[in-house]
Amino acid sequence: MADITLTAREPFDGIRLETQGVTLSGVTGKALVSAAIPNGGEARFAKSLQAAYGVSLPAPGATTLSRDGATLLIGLQRDQIFLMFDRTDDWPERSVSGKLGDATCVTDQSDGWVMARIAGPRCRKALERICRLDLHPEVFAEGAVARTLMEHLNVIIWRDGAESCQLLSPRSSASSFLHALETSILNIRQSGTFQLLT
Amino acid sequence: MSQQSRISGGLIDRSQTHSFTFDGRRYEGHAGDTLASALVANNVRLVGRSFKYHRPRGIFTAGSEEPNALVELRSGARREPNTRATAAELFEGLEAASQNWCGSLRHDLLAVNDLFSPFLSAGFYYKTFMWPKAFWERLYEPIIRAAAGLGRLSGLPDPDSYDHGYLHCDILVIGAGPAGLAAAMQAGRSGARVIVADEDFRMGGRLNAETREVDGMAGAAWADSAVAELAAMDNVRLFPRTTVFGVYDHGIYGALERRTDHLRDGEDGPRQVLWQIQAKRAILAAGAIERPIAFPGNDRPGVMLAASVRTYVNRYAAAPGKRIAVFTNNDDGWRTAIDLSAKGIGIAAIVDTRDTEPLTDIPGAAIVMGGRVTATRGRHGLRSITLAGGRTIETDCLAISGGWNPNVHLTCHHRGRPEWRDDIAAFVPGPELPAGMTVTGAANGTLTLGAALADGHNRTSSTLMGLGFRSGGAQPPRGDDEAASVSAFWHVSPGKGRAWLDLQNDVTVKDLKLAHQEGFRSVEHMKRYTTLGMATDQGKTANVPALAIMAECTGRTIAETGTTIFRPPYTPVPIAAFAGRSRGAHMRPVRLTPSHAWAEEQGAAFVETGLWLRAQWYPRDGETHWRQSVDREVVQTRNSVGICDVATLGKIDIQGRDAAQFLNRVYANGFAKLAVGRARYGLMLREDGIVMDDGTAAHLSENHYLMTTTTANALAVFRHLEFCRQCLWPNLDVHLISVTDQWAQYAVAGPNARKLLSKLVDQDFDISNEAFPFMACGEITVCGGTRARLFRISFSGELAYEIAVPARYGDAMIRALMAAGEEFDAVPYGLEALNVMRIEKGHVTGAELEGRTTARDVGMGRMVSADKDCIGKTLSQRPVLVAEDRPVLMGFIPVDRSQTLDAGAHFLSSGVAAVTENDEGWMSSVCHSPILGHAIGLGFIKRGRERVGETVRAADPLRGKETLVEIVSPHFLDPEGERLRG
Repeated sequence: MADITLTAREPFDGIRLETQGVTLSGVTGKALVSAAIPNGGEARFAKSLQAAYGVSLPAPGATTLSRDGATLLIGLQRDQIFLMFDRTDDWPERSVSGKLGDATCVTDQSDGWVMARIAGPRCRKALERICRLDLHPEVFAEGAVARTLMEHLNVIIWRDGAESCQLLSPRSSASSFLHALETSILNIRQSGTFQLLT
Repeated sequence: MSQQSRISGGLIDRSQTHSFTFDGRRYEGHAGDTLASALVANNVRLVGRSFKYHRPRGIFTAGSEEPNALVELRSGARREPNTRATAAELFEGLEAASQNWCGSLRHDLLAVNDLFSPFLSAGFYYKTFMWPKAFWERLYEPIIRAAAGLGRLSGLPDPDSYDHGYLHCDILVIGAGPAGLAAAMQAGRSGARVIVADEDFRMGGRLNAETREVDGMAGAAWADSAVAELAAMDNVRLFPRTTVFGVYDHGIYGALERRTDHLRDGEDGPRQVLWQIQAKRAILAAGAIERPIAFPGNDRPGVMLAASVRTYVNRYAAAPGKRIAVFTNNDDGWRTAIDLSAKGIGIAAIVDTRDTEPLTDIPGAAIVMGGRVTATRGRHGLRSITLAGGRTIETDCLAISGGWNPNVHLTCHHRGRPEWRDDIAAFVPGPELPAGMTVTGAANGTLTLGAALADGHNRTSSTLMGLGFRSGGAQPPRGDDEAASVSAFWHVSPGKGRAWLDLQNDVTVKDLKLAHQEGFRSVEHMKRYTTLGMATDQGKTANVPALAIMAECTGRTIAETGTTIFRPPYTPVPIAAFAGRSRGAHMRPVRLTPSHAWAEEQGAAFVETGLWLRAQWYPRDGETHWRQSVDREVVQTRNSVGICDVATLGKIDIQGRDAAQFLNRVYANGFAKLAVGRARYGLMLREDGIVMDDGTAAHLSENHYLMTTTTANALAVFRHLEFCRQCLWPNLDVHLISVTDQWAQYAVAGPNARKLLSKLVDQDFDISNEAFPFMACGEITVCGGTRARLFRISFSGELAYEIAVPARYGDAMIRALMAAGEEFDAVPYGLEALNVMRIEKGHVTGAELEGRTTARDVGMGRMVSADKDCIGKTLSQRPVLVAEDRPVLMGFIPVDRSQTLDAGAHFLSSGVAAVTENDEGWMSSVCHSPILGHAIGLGFIKRGRERVGETVRAADPLRGKETLVEIVSPHFLDPEGERLRG
């Protein structure tokens, strides 16, 4: 029966918050797919990655943008990467396995996480309230990625620009994660206006 | 007259006048003042009463080491007791009140304690109030407790906010005095990432309090220019008002930044921030603290440390007296007289304990070499001192200097022991410092200015080289070295009257001798018995003189006597700062299911299960008791259809060529032959043979499984599987990833479940009993093409499905299910109804799989496959785990059906006492079954399967209740499973 259709609802849809030197915005509409490399299939995986995305396998802790700029490859562990690209349907892992071959173990992770981008000259100051990692550009350079904890929450963070980071955290605790980010941004404000735009 | 003791000069900003109150009286001070310096400027000498004897006390120091001038700061909910006036920055509208008196500060009724001082000596509460015994708890202790303590807490929730944060640097410079600034400049210029933290609001340390020069400039001006240069460096961060209070493992330092303590209430964000600073190296330049000399009557308001007197005059332009005397055992005491005299303050006398030539001549001052102060006079403030030999000198302020103690505190946080240096008569840091720490300047015993500047510079150069940085500059800042000779003179004896050591705890020289006499000879015992060195100041001024006296008593050297252990925090840190932002509802994260917003709209009652908030039941209009809601949800589900959010169950995606074998090894029952499109219940054992968790695994496609776990064990199971994969069987090709949050999942249960789902599942998919039988699973689409997964599994015992959609559709899906279910009068059911239905069905949960029970105990012994090995199999066969009389899972119903049951009750045979020896088992889960119309329970009882029909007692001594129950099968409803296969 098709008279009921399901409408997607994203916890970070429309989130936007601006204050002195920091902008926080929700990122939605992205597909996120994990790809695990089969034991013994490393060479074949690297080859198909090169063929499909024009780049080599990112090491754990590094991100790489595909040659066409459409897919971000996120190196998370020895035998696993995440791929992020614009979502077009409910089966994003199929397009990845189509490119990397059936032997690759792909899993849709798009709805398991919420994503936010924090940017601006003071974004590092806001993050240092909750992030234990050293985000100094000499230590955590553009393109670097790490798994960490913020306020007890699992977070994947990567630096996508000189003064910006992207953050992934589990969807079920999105409200707590948003609170942690908002509080951090609020707590570094100097006297002045603060706008919460949603 | 306002600020009658204010003099010229100083580092205060006279263009900004702040008015404040002390004990309700209005005064004025300036920006740059502390509360203490403003009180000095206003000639307020009596500021508090002592802890035990309620003796009048005045300001003693000018820093965080202050033992006396403790006040209640601010009012209402923000009232903070025991605040050191010497460390509280003055602001407009500051309110302070003295504490620890009864009546008034000047006329404290509890000063009567002083008359009873012979009864209140060290350890008095162990000795004096012993008889009659019954009086201790009822009379003595309440009175002592009521009298004890200093300031009062507001008793209200703290309205301020606090935060925490994490910092990283190459070099952490602790303390911004001359050595610290020299170190920071050197580090900053090298390009290293530097953090400079200082507890003061004005960096510069003693340079701000002295009249010395650095690089040809006034010391304070040099400090200003150094701070300005550092502030301009991108690689340097300055943290004034920040105390590094502890050294932890791996180069982590704890620091408290007081961000708004110097502002009016609640201005500008969090009041304090607790920082974890991760430093590759630390330069400790914490300076030194002057120590007193003990002599009779040395606690009167007006008796102060000499360098503090100098600080008030030089830095704060406030004169602590009009005619000041100095009592010293070292050269530094003379500097106070010289500086004060230069400011035109009268010097009554200089009494030096050393029988040497005077250092200088001060016009108008009596110079007494080899002298001793033996008594003082003045009730609420010093009026005169008496010297050995009887000479009396009129003075309103006695500046005492017993030498300087390097601030070794932080060097000892990893159990390093300070070492004694005879030449400066002080402890210096020992050789075992926390890894990565270098100590410089006065903190390291380098007590003179020129040497401290050079030391800070040079030690930092070496540290920088060790980190691979080039040195910042060739030459250290230049300063002269002052005269700094000191003698080891600790107390005047013999003397008449009490000579005070620990002003905060009212401990005298005599108390120490008494402790020794009574056998408390180790310094740690001495500290506990006398309380010397306890409380907010931790004996910063008292410890070393006390150790010297202890050494005298025992006939050992001070070095042999040793110090007590220094532990964090260096100065008090509010509990609120440790809590930070983790307060109230934000103490920990909350996890919400995809249907949460919808459930809130329904007015659901929620319950915390771990971090999750789950709907417990969905009350409807007219329902006044939770049981009404739950009974309705159960009956309606069993009669028609109910819907429950089960998204909290752990979901683990398992893939790889060896996924089937992996499951076969981690589950006790067989999974090797599970066909694609089928799901199976799985029981997982721990290595020790006890049940770990249960759930299902669905075979989605070749080499691809989805495992579900219980909500509580989702993380533990994932961690266990990763351990198995990575450590036990690294050769298996298996890949795991959590998809718990990826999918919204709903149980649809009841005779009309299929009819309801048929309205939503797209027509391409046949979910008839034949095409999609019990334990089938598969990928489908719903509502015109939305991705979904369907599992025909049942926890309720009904014809049931679990349907999953990507979490972003979870909200829409629950609304779609309810809309489609309207014609069947579908109900949402919560955790409570879910629990009732699983008890009726005899299904186990965490109440049964609680870490002590085996598969056999819960009636699943036959599931542990005989044909294969699995984790836990071998140890599950230990004799104790297969003993015949182990309690096994059974059902229980009250003999009198109107009675309720209680989980936690223990089973006893009739006629035996309710003692452990007679215990036969316990009730694990109970509920009211609306289907059966009476209470039912699951529990474990010895040899239960042989005892069906037997009556036993369910005894609950905690609730004072005992119920007769009948042992029945644990499957109360549909034991053959006809409903769920229908």
